[in-house]
Amino acid sequence: MRGSLPRGFRDILPTEARELHAIERSLMTTFARHGYVPLEPPTVEFADGTITVDERRTLRFLDRDGRLLALRPDVTTAVARVVAQRYREAGAALRLAYFTPIFREEASMGGSEREYDQAGVELIGDPSVRADAEVIALLVDALAQSGLPGIDVDIGHAGYVEGFIAELPIEAREKVGSAWRGGDLVGTMSLARAAGMPARRIAALERGLRHRAIDLRGPRVDAPAASCDALDALETLAPLLDAAGVGEVRFDLGFVPALPYYTGIVFQITVPDLGFPIANGGRYDGLLARFGADRPATGFGIAIPHLHRALVAAGWQAPSDSPLLILEPHENDATTLRVASALRSAGIAVAIGEVAEHAGQDVRRARIVDDARLEYDGAVRAIDAVVALLSGQAAR
Amino acid sequence: MRPLRIALAQGVLLADTRAALAAAGYATGALDDGGRRLVIVTADVEFVLARPSDVPTHVAHGAADVGIVGKDVLLESDADVVELVDLGYGRCRFVVAAPAGSVDRSLDEYRHLGSLEVATKYPRVAARHFQGRGIQVEIIKLNGSVELAPQVGLADWIVDLVSTGRTLKENKLAVIEEIAVCTARLIANRVSYARDRERIASLASKLEAWAAR
Repeated sequence: MRGSLPRGFRDILPTEARELHAIERSLMTTFARHGYVPLEPPTVEFADGTITVDERRTLRFLDRDGRLLALRPDVTTAVARVVAQRYREAGAALRLAYFTPIFREEASMGGSEREYDQAGVELIGDPSVRADAEVIALLVDALAQSGLPGIDVDIGHAGYVEGFIAELPIEAREKVGSAWRGGDLVGTMSLARAAGMPARRIAALERGLRHRAIDLRGPRVDAPAASCDALDALETLAPLLDAAGVGEVRFDLGFVPALPYYTGIVFQITVPDLGFPIANGGRYDGLLARFGADRPATGFGIAIPHLHRALVAAGWQAPSDSPLLILEPHENDATTLRVASALRSAGIAVAIGEVAEHAGQDVRRARIVDDARLEYDGAVRAIDAVVALLSGQAAR
Repeated sequence: MRPLRIALAQGVLLADTRAALAAAGYATGALDDGGRRLVIVTADVEFVLARPSDVPTHVAHGAADVGIVGKDVLLESDADVVELVDLGYGRCRFVVAAPAGSVDRSLDEYRHLGSLEVATKYPRVAARHFQGRGIQVEIIKLNGSVELAPQVGLADWIVDLVSTGRTLKENKLAVIEEIAVCTARLIANRVSYARDRERIASLASKLEAWAAR
């Protein structure tokens, strides 16, 4: 097995690594501009602490103390722990951002990675619809700033379908709810019918599940009061998104929340020709209570491999501050190092001698003439002149 | 806008699937050419013909926007897709079966040894069923002729898919319990279902109307 890797893990080679760093810089800059501060959770958690992800989807191992540990399957667990331990009494909202690898156990031969980067934010302590609007606007802004064109924003509400389910006899609720959250709309409807949901509710739920539109008119007819409350929240949200500069969105009442713990407004970002959402998120008000800090929360996660793939498909390239200058060395090594050092102090990226991997950077070449001069672009020039040319300043 | 891509399960479902799609107004003539071509482009849709057990994978990964496949395959696959319409055809049942007249004996054995051996081609369905029932079993995964397993002493019980029940009778097996009734389903990729709601919901309504005829 020497020279190979466990399935689902891979080397990120220099070209891609540069691109991922550029994406990270861009996203974290936007998160910071919205007031989100970075959190860096550890790679390992106690396995029984990772309650947000199905245990079969976590990568687990024993340490030498005999404790069962798990590689971090998401960041929400760490955020919940940090909030419960350190910010339980904080009255003000907490805004956290992260960009970090997460680990998921995947079925063998499924073509899935077991380690990949995820970026996201969590807004803790604000139950308002304005907070929902804030994170959606931040997500849309962050993706636009990263250079991604043509996204679709889908917004739903976990409470719309839950409102119908809550009227069923208690013993039927779990079955219908788990069919719904598993994306089984056929099962949701037939189980709801079998549990005695009245015909007018059935008809309303069927209409709701198929409803995806810019406006919310229609699905209120025959819907339970709790479902109408969910529609009220979405109606409050729409003008706020508009005010925050989010473009057109789609309200999708058949939206199946990606994770079981979402309780309120949920959303996802998709692009054409990619079968998985690039990002999703939503409100998860009940979750932090399970860690001992009962605070409302909303947030999102961006699947960086999907974002990266969509960016590359859209012709995006990692921005490069200045080209890499490859210096053909002088016969005097001291001169070579002096010239390289002078160029670097002036902000130029320099490599001495031919390089095996350009990592997609723009590359220029120069030959050292002496301590003060380089042959560059067909002429012998002073170091300052070369710096000016490479930095894109006039002096040509 | 690119054509909607529909993954279709080859095999027993295909004839009914073709009839359903034709009734919904799609040009299905090109599906008749003896199954040589696996991607068939028509004016408004692209059909992809795949092994039934691969259809959920195609759809979950977005290689196809929607698919038509049996619920039995969905139950065994665990793929993350949205299940939209029960098409009604391809009806079959997942059952637990045992040699006729031996149920009492195997239950005695269960009390004695604490576990039963169950042979099946559908290990996930079988494991989930017995887990839900709180019955300890060892699953033996076979790739064919599961009904042989009790006769040759490979397993006490089997979990298998039956349509008429004739194969069970011929092998002197009796149904102990029904796990699920399975019919063909229209499924969709989650992203396609969001982005392409109009086309997919329109396909779903037409097929639903056909299924309720």
